[in-house]
Amino acid sequence: MDPKIKMDALYVPSSDVVAREIEGELILVPITSGIGDLEDELFTLNETGRDIWDKLDGKRSPRAIAAELAAEYSAVPGEIEEDVRGLLEELLKRRIVVEGGGR
Amino acid sequence: MSKAAADKPGLRVVRGGELSLSGESLLALLEAVLAKGVPFRFRARGFSMSPLIKDGDVLTVAPCGETRLRPGDAVAFISPLNGKPIVHRIICLDRGFVVVKGDNVAEPDDLVPERDILGIVTSVEREGKKVRFGLGAEKRLIAFFSSRGFFEKLLSVARRIFRPATQRRGR
Repeated sequence: MDPKIKMDALYVPSSDVVAREIEGELILVPITSGIGDLEDELFTLNETGRDIWDKLDGKRSPRAIAAELAAEYSAVPGEIEEDVRGLLEELLKRRIVVEGGGR
Repeated sequence: MSKAAADKPGLRVVRGGELSLSGESLLALLEAVLAKGVPFRFRARGFSMSPLIKDGDVLTVAPCGETRLRPGDAVAFISPLNGKPIVHRIICLDRGFVVVKGDNVAEPDDLVPERDILGIVTSVEREGKKVRFGLGAEKRLIAFFSSRGFFEKLLSVARRIFRPATQRRGR
C-alpha cells in the first residue's frame, strides 16, 4: 500500500539522496545499497515540483507549503494541496523524502 | 509574479544511461556522491585508458578516505587543464602531487595536486561482467610499462597488424 501523507506532519529530503541542479534541472540520485548509481533509476523534478522540494526544510508542513504556493501561483488552495500531497506521496513511496523535521 | 500557468508538480524517472551529462555535470554529481562517503557508479566515455578501460565501461569510483594512493591506482581526478573529471592511472606520487597518465596516451597529464584526486576506481564492468585485470597487483606493472610508453607502442603495432584489409589495399 502506498504511504499516505499527513498534511500537518513535517517532511525532509532523505539523507540517502543527493540532489544537484544540473543544466537547469534538479537531479535526484538515490544512494541505494550504499552506492550512488548513475546507471540506475534517477529522478528529476519539473519547475513546480522543484518549488515544493525547495520548501521541504523540516519546518513547513505540506499544508503550509500548499498555502504558500497557492499565494505564489494565484491558484485555488484546495487544488494546490492535492498537488503537494500527490508529489509528496510519490517522493515518500520512493524514499526520497522522509517524515521528520524541526531542524 | 503569478505562476498561474504552472504545470502540475511532477517527478520524472530516468535511467542514468539516458542522461547526456557534460563533464561539469558529471563532476558535480561525482563530487556530491563521494562527499557522502559512498562510491559512485557511472559510464566512462573516451579511449585514453583503452584497452583496460574502454569507452562505455561502467566504473565504480570509491572515495579515497584513508586509503593511501599508490602507483598503478586508476583514479578519478579533476583535470588541471579544463576542470573536467578524468580517469587515468597514477604513475608516481611526489610531495602532495600525483603524476597521472592514460594507459593509451603518450604523455602524462599535468601534475595533479593530491587533493584533486576524487576517488579510486574499484570496479570496471563491461557488458555486465566484471573486468578485473588492471585493478589488482598487476596495476603497478601496468603503471611502470605505461610510463615508458609501452602500451602506446604495443597498440600502434597492433593497429598496423590488424588494419582492415581495405585500408592495406589502399596503400
